[in-house]
Amino acid sequence: MTRYITKRAAGALLLTASLASAACGSNDDGAAVRDLTETSAASGAGASAAGGSSAGGSAASGSGLSTEGVTGTGGDNPLVAEAVNQYTAWVQTQIAQIPIEAKVFTDAVRAGDVDAAKAAYAPSRQSWERIEPIAGLIEQIDVAVDARVDDFASETDPTWTGWHKLEWLVFDQEKLDADASKLADQLDADLAKLVAGAPALSIPPVLVARGSAELIEEVANGKITGEEDRYSGTDLWDFAANLEGSKQAFDYLKPALSEVDAELATTVTDQFNELETELGAYRDGSGWKPYSTLTDADRKVMSGQLAALSESLATIPGVLGLS
Amino acid sequence: MSVSRRRFLGGGAASAVTAVGVTSLTAGCTDESNAASAGPQYVPFDGPHQTGVTTRAPASGLLASFDVIVDDRDALVEALQELSVEARRIMTGQPYDERGVEYPPLYTGTLGNPPTPHDISVIIGFGASLFDDRFGLSESKPVELIEMPFLANDRLDPARSHGDIVIEISGDSDDAVLFTLRQLMRATRRSMALKWMLSGFNRRSDPKPGQADTRNLMGFKDGTANLDGSQPNIAERYVWVQPDDGEPAWAVGGSYMAVRVIRMLVEFWDRAPLVEQEAIFGRERTSGAPLGLGKETDDPDYASDADGARIPLNSHIRLANPRTVDFDSLLLRRGFSYSRGFDDAGQLDQGLAFVSFQRRLQSFLDVTARLKGEPLEEYVVPEGGGFFFVPPGSVSETDWVGSSLFA
Repeated sequence: MTRYITKRAAGALLLTASLASAACGSNDDGAAVRDLTETSAASGAGASAAGGSSAGGSAASGSGLSTEGVTGTGGDNPLVAEAVNQYTAWVQTQIAQIPIEAKVFTDAVRAGDVDAAKAAYAPSRQSWERIEPIAGLIEQIDVAVDARVDDFASETDPTWTGWHKLEWLVFDQEKLDADASKLADQLDADLAKLVAGAPALSIPPVLVARGSAELIEEVANGKITGEEDRYSGTDLWDFAANLEGSKQAFDYLKPALSEVDAELATTVTDQFNELETELGAYRDGSGWKPYSTLTDADRKVMSGQLAALSESLATIPGVLGLS
Repeated sequence: MSVSRRRFLGGGAASAVTAVGVTSLTAGCTDESNAASAGPQYVPFDGPHQTGVTTRAPASGLLASFDVIVDDRDALVEALQELSVEARRIMTGQPYDERGVEYPPLYTGTLGNPPTPHDISVIIGFGASLFDDRFGLSESKPVELIEMPFLANDRLDPARSHGDIVIEISGDSDDAVLFTLRQLMRATRRSMALKWMLSGFNRRSDPKPGQADTRNLMGFKDGTANLDGSQPNIAERYVWVQPDDGEPAWAVGGSYMAVRVIRMLVEFWDRAPLVEQEAIFGRERTSGAPLGLGKETDDPDYASDADGARIPLNSHIRLANPRTVDFDSLLLRRGFSYSRGFDDAGQLDQGLAFVSFQRRLQSFLDVTARLKGEPLEEYVVPEGGGFFFVPPGSVSETDWVGSSLFA
């Protein structure tokens, strides 16, 4: 599940949305409000009034992606604008894939076929993991479909839903009953909401860069540690998809970046390449080896590579003047 | 540089070393001690030796050991250069560049810009593993440098021992030390991965010659007989590798560093009778005086106590330093106490991060061999640490620590 930049990004969107249309209702939580204050202060959007008025609200509205009124600097650079268009289109194709991939998994769950569900679990998450930070712009969706048990009191907490709850049932409990079917239905329904909100999706330029960086933070904080898919051990699938999604966003920004800072563009390209090479050792057919096969030495090296890449990606908004 | 350097060196006037026959220690110390207590200072970075070694034991200390995770020599050199640039900046208070607000700042902000003075020093050391076949350094290994074996009653945890590069950060406060750690790591993420880390403290009173300025967590004064590294003649004799020591030329001016993470079984210790505690150390707990004598600064006078009736022959201070004419294995200690919460049994996990610097590693091994089997062992367990070699200093603003190894 997405944690860091997503909340901040979501806050920025929610702020502008609530300023533009009060009808949007209360769809922020305390954390989003805090983060939105920072973000908005930086972009001069006048956060204090909005932050103050909505502080303490925690109800989730489940409304769609609302990006009305969103502005971002940097869009006047034609190369950046082009990157945003390309990335937005690519995100749309990924979002369209998500429910299709997921349904292979949820169908197996509903059929009570544990083996088929096990086989379909990791592939069902690939498109989601490629665009996770963007999909996470609707925080309710991210929590509903991708929360880990750590956010709940226990595995049996009925409010815990989504992929990882099913992962626990499939890989740990190996028990697929009516409750599991209901969870599968719920996952399909939540992902349908994501698809429904997709046409309205408008991604500010800075979120292309931040989204790219966020995916690498995701890998560094969750996947490389084996926390994300602890029951299935399929973390390297998510790792690869995160990396792919991050690289895609970067590739779209690269022409703009090369114009301003060719050295950084080359450095980041090299850093992606060395990470792909390192991870490549864990290829297994069309998928990836279990997390348990990752050696300590390789984990350490990849952690270093991820950290170095993160440091580089963090400077891109500054270099391109995106805020 | 000369003023601040004299001040920071003066701060180390913490101990008398009677066995060395240094009698001039008290001369001129008072003013410098006062200067040192005037407040936190910048510490020079460049010099013939790494300057942190001979500063006072840290009020706040942190040891961080790293694995080098790149496999080519150039990348290692680059990481070492980055370490020196960053350490120099923080130790001497050079400003960071300010970038636009769209960028992450180049510094964490804890100490402002430029970083304010906090007695920060950074000591960089190399483990034996750095001299394996990865970087073509095997021919250059300091002759005595080995991976620390199990010594005395050790229970070394591999996850808390050894490492390719060790960094000891010292400062006047935890946040200043952590600032330094984060800045150093930020500059070297691609090349160095944390292996283990330990932080701790010394609560210091104003030091006076011949008196320890800190107590360890067993409640006893620690460092009464420590070397005074701020005295150049002492440092040259006991701390810095000399040209005729048979070491590689690049290592001259460096020092061997022994790190021992010594867990103290404090609950057990607190149940030991005072008479036993004092016999184990050989000193009175309150005054720090050698048993049967009046003052901490008193010589234990083993000559008048040949059979150990007053100070047991197997007491810690008598084993560690018998003060005989031919005993010359003296160490410069600048460790710190640590607390790591509690263990599975609910016992406090506390102890001493023993850190010593010496011209010859054999001096440390000699002392450890003498201490093997001492009664204190019942109350302590060495659990980690390692042996390292601290290369000579960066000699100028354009130099970096470790350059002589790659010259």
